[in-house]
Amino acid sequence: MATLATFFRRFETRAEAPRGPRIETDPYLLRTLPNEDVFFYCKKIDNSRLVREADPRARKECWSTIGAACVMAALLTTILVPKMLGTMEGYRIQELRAEEQRLLDERRVLELEEARLLSPARLQELAQQRQFVAPSPGQVIHLNPKGDGALALNVK
Amino acid sequence: MSAVDPQQRWNATRRLAWLAAAMALWGAAIAAKLLYLQVIRHEDYLRQARRQQERVIEIPAPRGTISDRNGQLLAISVPMASISVNPQQVPDLEVAADILSRILELDRTVLYGRLRHAEAAGRGFLWVKRKIAPEEAESLKSLRLNWIQFHQESQRHYPNGTLLANAIGSVNHAERGNAGLELALDDELAGHPGSARMLTDVRRRGIDSHMNTEPQAGASLTLTIDSRIQYTAERELARAVADHNARSASLVAMNPHTGEILAMASYPTFDPNYPPAPGDPPSKRFNYAVSVPFEPGSVFKAITLAAALETTRLRPDSLINCGNGSITLFGRTIREAGRGYGTIPMSLVLAKSSNVGAIQVGMQVGPERMYEYVRRFGFGSRTGITLPAESPGMVRSPRRWGKTSLHSIAMGHEIGTTTLQLARACSAIANGGLLVEPRIILKLGGKPFTTAPPRRIIKPETAITMRQMMEGVVVNPGGTGRRARLDGYSSGGKTGSAQIFDFETRRYTSTYNGTFMGFAPVTNPAVVIVVTLNGTRTTRGFGGVSAAPVFREVAQEALRVLDIPKDLPEVAPDEAAPEPEAEEPPDLAIAELGAPPVPEEDEQTPEAAAADTGPRVPDFQGMTMRAVLAQASELGLPVLVDGSGLARGQYPPPGSVLSAGERVRVRFAR
Repeated sequence: MATLATFFRRFETRAEAPRGPRIETDPYLLRTLPNEDVFFYCKKIDNSRLVREADPRARKECWSTIGAACVMAALLTTILVPKMLGTMEGYRIQELRAEEQRLLDERRVLELEEARLLSPARLQELAQQRQFVAPSPGQVIHLNPKGDGALALNVK
Repeated sequence: MSAVDPQQRWNATRRLAWLAAAMALWGAAIAAKLLYLQVIRHEDYLRQARRQQERVIEIPAPRGTISDRNGQLLAISVPMASISVNPQQVPDLEVAADILSRILELDRTVLYGRLRHAEAAGRGFLWVKRKIAPEEAESLKSLRLNWIQFHQESQRHYPNGTLLANAIGSVNHAERGNAGLELALDDELAGHPGSARMLTDVRRRGIDSHMNTEPQAGASLTLTIDSRIQYTAERELARAVADHNARSASLVAMNPHTGEILAMASYPTFDPNYPPAPGDPPSKRFNYAVSVPFEPGSVFKAITLAAALETTRLRPDSLINCGNGSITLFGRTIREAGRGYGTIPMSLVLAKSSNVGAIQVGMQVGPERMYEYVRRFGFGSRTGITLPAESPGMVRSPRRWGKTSLHSIAMGHEIGTTTLQLARACSAIANGGLLVEPRIILKLGGKPFTTAPPRRIIKPETAITMRQMMEGVVVNPGGTGRRARLDGYSSGGKTGSAQIFDFETRRYTSTYNGTFMGFAPVTNPAVVIVVTLNGTRTTRGFGGVSAAPVFREVAQEALRVLDIPKDLPEVAPDEAAPEPEAEEPPDLAIAELGAPPVPEEDEQTPEAAAADTGPRVPDFQGMTMRAVLAQASELGLPVLVDGSGLARGQYPPPGSVLSAGERVRVRFAR
């Protein structure tokens, strides 16, 4: 019977053994395999009757370690996550700023286009093409919607 | 388990000690390096890191917009791309010239020459084309060529072209105002761009930015102008100039109660979207309404009569002896331009524009009080409007008056006024006697633009009486302003025609300033309009014929736009048609009476200001009379010939600009 302890001890003892002259044996004899003399077998140990003794100190240390790990994790999270999110938001803010500037520029171009389309000279030309006439002051009635009923009914 | 061998323990301890020492040394080396990098070389590496990770971006602050009172844009700045290259980094100049010239529509040879020259000179920057079209920029960007650099610049646009150009002015290539409101309010309109440091990643994408300088956008400007009235004013003014062969013209329409300018038109005009072409006369960009004074002529009789109502016992029905059209002053007999009148009420003196009557009234007012009222109505001083190069006009102090100055001033000569000054004076009559400060700015930067409060210059009853008398000018069958009659509205006004003084020959010419100043409706005027045409000829160029119809068209449109209810029944078009021209009484003031309108000190004169508007005189030397007359006729130059044979001399000399009313004198000899 050999245990793991004896198995490993063999290496030590072999290393410590003095190296003498090699004994010549029958050259036709097969060499022994390493650890040929070692036999393993399963030993059944029944520890069901054993009960672990309560160790409040070890348990306390264990919970302390777990708590410390959690605190560390939380600290790291509170430090790193906002920084990471901040960086990502930074990208987004810069993109939005660029987009805002682009839209402002685009709005100015559209305002210019609108002003060109509404220029009195152009409107006059269109009105002449369609044979419009200017209304006299009495013909222009400003309606004030009151929120209920048809707009035309609000005319006094 | 056997005990550890002491020898082995020693060995292990020794090895651990070596390992610890090595680790300590390693740590110390790292600490030393960190100390070197982060403390000693801190600034250097910080600078390098910033150069690599940060870039300074410019935050644009566009020039403020200009819009009319209804929000219609008159001027706006739009971002445009400009293209530059670093000639030292261009891989192949010929290919670069090919690409850029094709997309930017440039001359390939010229561009290649510029690139070669810049490269040879070792220059690292060369503008290829500035303020290019968006399509061109897109085409270039799509090529993704890293040696092409894009810069953002701003371009000023005037979407309505020539509309209100003489008042708005223009900007130079650097977007700084160089005329008109753009110049007067350049500091307020100009934006100041800001800058920010942007932290970028390896792909040059922005992560974070810190503001270095806050951008300050230019203040937006809202004018009192109504672009619809302005458009009508410019259209009618241009039509009148063409019809009457006038050289220049101006018009001011204003609210008499607030002094807000509703329209301010000048002719000739220009398109501020384009820079001045070489050889363009600068007078094209003058704002004639505020910068060029002129002798107002008979319209000034309204001021004379207002002074008389205030300071004498004369009333509208007071009889004035008009001497059948002639008056003798200091031994010299002066005659009316048209038919004379006998003794007529003062209201008819105004309606028929009698010069002798005005002289009689002026003599009753007296020089001191006349001068006082001329100044009270704001003549001789700037109105304070926010426009550059405003002329104060020309009013001499009584100390410098000649013997006949009072008589001349009573008729509107020996005095220089601008169209704006006349509009302000007419507003005082229209609003009940308050002199308002004209203003063209409604809001600046979103805040209301305030002016000085109006001050009373004549009694309300005087103003009402003057309004009634000026209505007579328009409605009276013998009035000079019948062409200013409106359809559905009452109107009042005064016509005026003044001969233009030629400063070269020092004589009055046969060209006129035709003027009409009026208001409508009479009971509560909503608009005052003054129209002046400069350089008209013949009786068709008189104010009642040339300027009054412009007043009519513009006033009709202004009252419609302002939604003013009609106070008269509408008249059928046939009935509203003006009487035949032959019956039109002349409103020409007598010019050859006193001293010429020589300006005081350094005051600019009307004709001097517009001197370079005339044509250039060709060289007639050696030409026959027939050839001289033919060429002069082609160029529209008035010529005086003397002698016979070939042209031996001329005045003005060749190349000089022919001023208003000036003629070319050509001397012929064999």
